Amino acid sequence: MSEVIATLKKDYIYSLMIKGKRQDGRGFKDFRDIKLETNVIPKAEGSAKVTLGNTQVLVGVKLQPGTPFPDSQDEGVIITNLELNPIASPEFEPGPPREEAIEMARVVDRGIRESGAINIKKLCITVGESVWIVYIDVHVLNDDGNVIDASSLAAIAALMTTVVPNEQQGIGMNVPLAMREIPVGVTLAKIGSKLMVDPSLDEEAVCETKLTVVSSSDGSIAGMQKMGPAPFTETEVLEAIDMAREKAAELRELYLEGLSKKE
Amino acid sequence: MSDKPEKLITDDGLRLDGRHEDEIRPMKIEIGVLSRADGSCYLEWGRNKILVGVFGPREVHPRRSQRADTAVIRYKYNMASFSTEDRARPGPSRRSTEISKVSREAFEPVIMAELFPKTAIDIFVEVLQADAGTRTAAINASSIALADAGVPMKGLVTSCAFGKVDGQIVLDLNKEEDNYGEADFPVAMTQDGEITLLQMDGHLTPDEIKKGMELIKKGCKEILEIQQAVLRKKFETPVEEVAEESVGIETEAVETEPSLEYTPEATAIEETIEEAGEPEEELSEETAEACAVSEAAQECEKLEEIAKEAEAEVVEGETVEEVIEAEIENEAEEEAFESEAEFEATLEASFEEASEPEKLEEHELEETISEEAEIEPETEELSEEAAQPEVEAQLEEEAEIEEEPQLEEEVQLEEEVGIEKISPKETFESESEIESEAGSRKEIPPEQVVEVEEEPEEEKCKGPWKVVKDPSESGSRGENDE
Repeated sequence: MSEVIATLKKDYIYSLMIKGKRQDGRGFKDFRDIKLETNVIPKAEGSAKVTLGNTQVLVGVKLQPGTPFPDSQDEGVIITNLELNPIASPEFEPGPPREEAIEMARVVDRGIRESGAINIKKLCITVGESVWIVYIDVHVLNDDGNVIDASSLAAIAALMTTVVPNEQQGIGMNVPLAMREIPVGVTLAKIGSKLMVDPSLDEEAVCETKLTVVSSSDGSIAGMQKMGPAPFTETEVLEAIDMAREKAAELRELYLEGLSKKE
Repeated sequence: MSDKPEKLITDDGLRLDGRHEDEIRPMKIEIGVLSRADGSCYLEWGRNKILVGVFGPREVHPRRSQRADTAVIRYKYNMASFSTEDRARPGPSRRSTEISKVSREAFEPVIMAELFPKTAIDIFVEVLQADAGTRTAAINASSIALADAGVPMKGLVTSCAFGKVDGQIVLDLNKEEDNYGEADFPVAMTQDGEITLLQMDGHLTPDEIKKGMELIKKGCKEILEIQQAVLRKKFETPVEEVAEESVGIETEAVETEPSLEYTPEATAIEETIEEAGEPEEELSEETAEACAVSEAAQECEKLEEIAKEAEAEVVEGETVEEVIEAEIENEAEEEAFESEAEFEATLEASFEEASEPEKLEEHELEETISEEAEIEPETEELSEEAAQPEVEAQLEEEAEIEEEPQLEEEVQLEEEVGIEKISPKETFESESEIESEAGSRKEIPPEQVVEVEEEPEEEKCKGPWKVVKDPSESGSRGENDE
């Protein structure tokens, strides 16, 4: 996702960082404006669109019956896919997902899976034979930086508004998807010696490395992933964890907790 | 797949495989196992079996992926279909793609790729048998394979994971613990403790993460020691041979010069010094010290970076010595050396004749002779010497030991030709060189020195470059840490 960026611009971002400033005037702990819409695709069982600055991500959730895994016969299956569509950036090419798309999909998936966000036991239709398979498909529509946080937010929002289509299968009434947890991913970009949340496209291009931290509502960590070539120190990791938890709590309160109340 | 055991940690605090919470599985590393690869490594860690081959720096295919300013590092993690209980589908999976990416990023900070623009450095990892922690095992093996290939690196990368099992934070999960544990947290770090890979899934609180990081640091330190031991075994063999040669010479010296006190080599050296009539006190003291550790002498030579230069100089010194010897034999027919000046000239001549004439050495030699080897030209560094008495002493000790062959030869020379004035100069030349060495190497941390003392322990390892170290066997787990 790194675009070619002029050395001048890089120097500029660095010099701002030293003064404690960012290109667009935000503080290191400020997200860009977030807009969250749910149920944007009625044909999907659940959907959400997140606009984060100019970054746009659309998530659709589809549920289909399928066979469970042999080692978890009474549990539903979660499959997360993320596509960096060529429409989203001149950098993206058509074709099979590249490693960064796979990585982001797996990080989003890990956050949802490991936090126990979905009660997968309730997705069992017949033990050992048929369970609901939850397909979470992330479509990146416009990449202006920090696709991963937008995707993570949109995915959980889409899941929280998902309805299990029992009627379609003739197995009772439609019910909301059983959710237990609201994991939120927050990515910290390391520029020079500073950590900042929600890197813009330019900041992503100059940052040496990023750390995504997915945390649950109790403040515990459900998933982490370092992305990018430069190393972190232990102190930076611990600092990043604290910043991420703080921001995740804010996002959860502002955008997500209202969704579950609506149900 | 087996069912979840009732308890993953028994009541006495041990894990299913008998390990303590902060213990890694036994690791075995073999280096240079593939003939066609530029560097290779086979690693067993618990039941994991990993094979890594490194190719390059080499031409990049496809061409468009080459970079004008740096080498492209490519890392391919691949699991054999038979490596797991259920057959894995061959070919790249989403999992292996992700692991390849993060593992490559774990090496990017240490590989000096900018030295090889327009090339590719390929790291191919084959997981032959998987038993949890394969990505960390693969990174440990890749470090060794890269070093084996001679790829310049700023240091080794070491990796291990911690996790949560039955609510307890434990180091290096095995398969059962990974399957039924509550969290997995793989980390890779450089020798300086910078984190180059970090992933996590499960459920952990920040406090648990802090605790886990402490375990990781301890685990990585142990693994680093194993890695370094393997590399030393392979790459320091020639130096050991040199040391053995010197043993032979020592014996000769003993025959001609029966000793009264100290060990034979000490006597020989002392006599040399006495005949020279130069300050013996300091020297003999040091020599005695040197002799006290003479049994560990060969081990000391195995020192890493600190000693490397000193070693190099010793080796060079010996070749020069040979030249000198030849020179001396020629000259001996006419006359023995009479004046210092004459000797100096000869020495200089022989330095020029030597295959690798070192300007610095010549210079030092002149200085040494003119100033009676009191102070080196790099005077500013003398103050630093004082600040580093330990390191200096250590270096001097080693150096003394390494000088032995030279001194021994001198003894022989004296017998043959009857030259008296060689030894003091020689001794001082090397002495002062080493002193300057010690001065200029101020940055050497004390733990490097500690390494030397630990050296003999590595004797336990059998075979030329095969190391099996079971941390559970050594009672000093982690206690050697600085």
